[in-house]
Amino acid sequence: MIENNTPATCENNLLVVENLSVIIRNSREKLIRNLHFSISQGEIFGLVGESGSGKSLTATVILGMISKSLEVTSGSVKLGQSEITSLSERELRNIRGKEIAYLSQNYQSFFTPFIKVGQQFIEIIRCHTDISRKEAKKVAIHWLNKVHLPAERVFNSFPDELSGGQLQRASIASAIMFQPRLIIADEPTTALDVLTGERILDLLSELKEELNCSILLISHDLKHIINRTQTVGVMYGGQIVEIGKTSAVLSNPIHPYTNLLLQSRLRLNKHIQHELPTMLGEPGSMAEEGCPFSKRCPSVMKSCSNIVPMSSLGSHHSAACHLMNAEREERYVTR
Amino acid sequence: MLHVNSISKTYHSKAALSDISLTVQPGESIGVIGESGSGKSTLGKIILGLEKPEQGDVHFRGSNLHTLKGQALKASRRHLQIVFQDPAGSLNPKLLVWKSVVEPLENFPDVIPSFLKEVRHDRKKMAEVLFQKVGLSSELLERYPHQLSGGQKQRIAVARGISLEPDLLVCDEPTSSLDVSVQAQVLNLLKKLQRDLNLSLLFISHDIAAVQFMCERIVVLKEGLAVDSFLTEDLFSESRHPYTRLLVEMSMEQEYK
Repeated sequence: MIENNTPATCENNLLVVENLSVIIRNSREKLIRNLHFSISQGEIFGLVGESGSGKSLTATVILGMISKSLEVTSGSVKLGQSEITSLSERELRNIRGKEIAYLSQNYQSFFTPFIKVGQQFIEIIRCHTDISRKEAKKVAIHWLNKVHLPAERVFNSFPDELSGGQLQRASIASAIMFQPRLIIADEPTTALDVLTGERILDLLSELKEELNCSILLISHDLKHIINRTQTVGVMYGGQIVEIGKTSAVLSNPIHPYTNLLLQSRLRLNKHIQHELPTMLGEPGSMAEEGCPFSKRCPSVMKSCSNIVPMSSLGSHHSAACHLMNAEREERYVTR
Repeated sequence: MLHVNSISKTYHSKAALSDISLTVQPGESIGVIGESGSGKSTLGKIILGLEKPEQGDVHFRGSNLHTLKGQALKASRRHLQIVFQDPAGSLNPKLLVWKSVVEPLENFPDVIPSFLKEVRHDRKKMAEVLFQKVGLSSELLERYPHQLSGGQKQRIAVARGISLEPDLLVCDEPTSSLDVSVQAQVLNLLKKLQRDLNLSLLFISHDIAAVQFMCERIVVLKEGLAVDSFLTEDLFSESRHPYTRLLVEMSMEQEYK
């Protein structure tokens, strides 16, 4: 599923993104370049990267919700048999919320403030199905119970009467009501406490097993990616620079960006570090040509200004870096 | 240098802090960790003199912070500076960033920090020195906050925080809104400045890994109570409070092989 040449029709793949590029209409600036990845049935796929790397934009494209000022210039996004990029708005509406659910960081704005949570559930349910309000309430209560909330109370509450964790749970309930095949969780725990966040991720994993769906987990928190995902894509400057089985990428990171990202993260340690390894420059700075990380890369070489193809290292791990082909012994030194 | 003596504070008849005591020695770094609603930011505000405790008192440099008035209060504020979580919100959007950085020095014309001795007469030069101290290029002096990245803005907030050479710097979640690589840079910077200037640091955070990296001592707050207090090296000790152990467990990464 990782290599470039894997046929898109691979049976096990739920979502296949191929050669996707997105630009800003006016400036022709490239935001996503030749993105290529697939998510298989029942897995948690992590997209990790810093601000401006294109993680959330990728989610928006999968949902078919990109802003009018942007344009998909090439590529395809396939969910099962449907090609998302060529569907009409009406067809998309059937997929969004039903086939693909979306959870955002900003759970506060998920619900309208002046309408009770229960009413909003009923509205969502009746949007997608043709059942009575009474039936709809039963469905809502069922799913509120599923996310371990006091269902009746939450149903009759206004959003501001619930805590952050409860709101995020309620938004998960509404996201999974139609038993989607894919849940996109875009930084679902960033605005939550550590403990609450872990419980939300526990809940998502539990629901994933129960519904047998896949999860696209977008996060900048490497801890979640390490603990929760089976496959990971590392994004920088609108490209996936490294992708593979999470364990393979973590134990043997090839791309200097992946490596530096892993090294500069904070983690609880028996031995306290005196200084964290850092990388040069700002997350937003990316090279126009070739490898987007070349401006910040400590082991940059001439060939980095050329397009770097993905090459694979074993069947479950590939990266776009010339270092892979150059003498591997001459691995860069961290500053 | 800072003595917090069993302070309590309630908001809307709910206890935000109950009976908290804390001592910070010169040059020491103390971490306060807790979830939202644990009272950690309230504690920070009381130590800064922005809120009054209902019981207990805070002694800073030998005087009771909450009974000080006028000049005496101003004088103690010089030694008490803060870096907030949101660098965008803590800088005046209409002021060139170098002016924001030297603002405290204008409010305290008599203060001559050791690292600004030679340039105290020249505002722009002081800004240059301070920029250098926090690792910012002097090309950025003439920018407005919105023209800078989050990490650069946070460095500016740090530059302003140290501009008066304070005794105590309070950092309230200074890196929670930053990217991983930038967070590492800012934490390294804070640690270096703390050592170089012999600052005392009160580091408030929900991130136990950040606190472990930055601080010598840790206080754990839960629902307004200090449930645990220990030297950082004893973080993994068996005798830790169950709540601390839970936080540690939740913050650990799985081994990958």
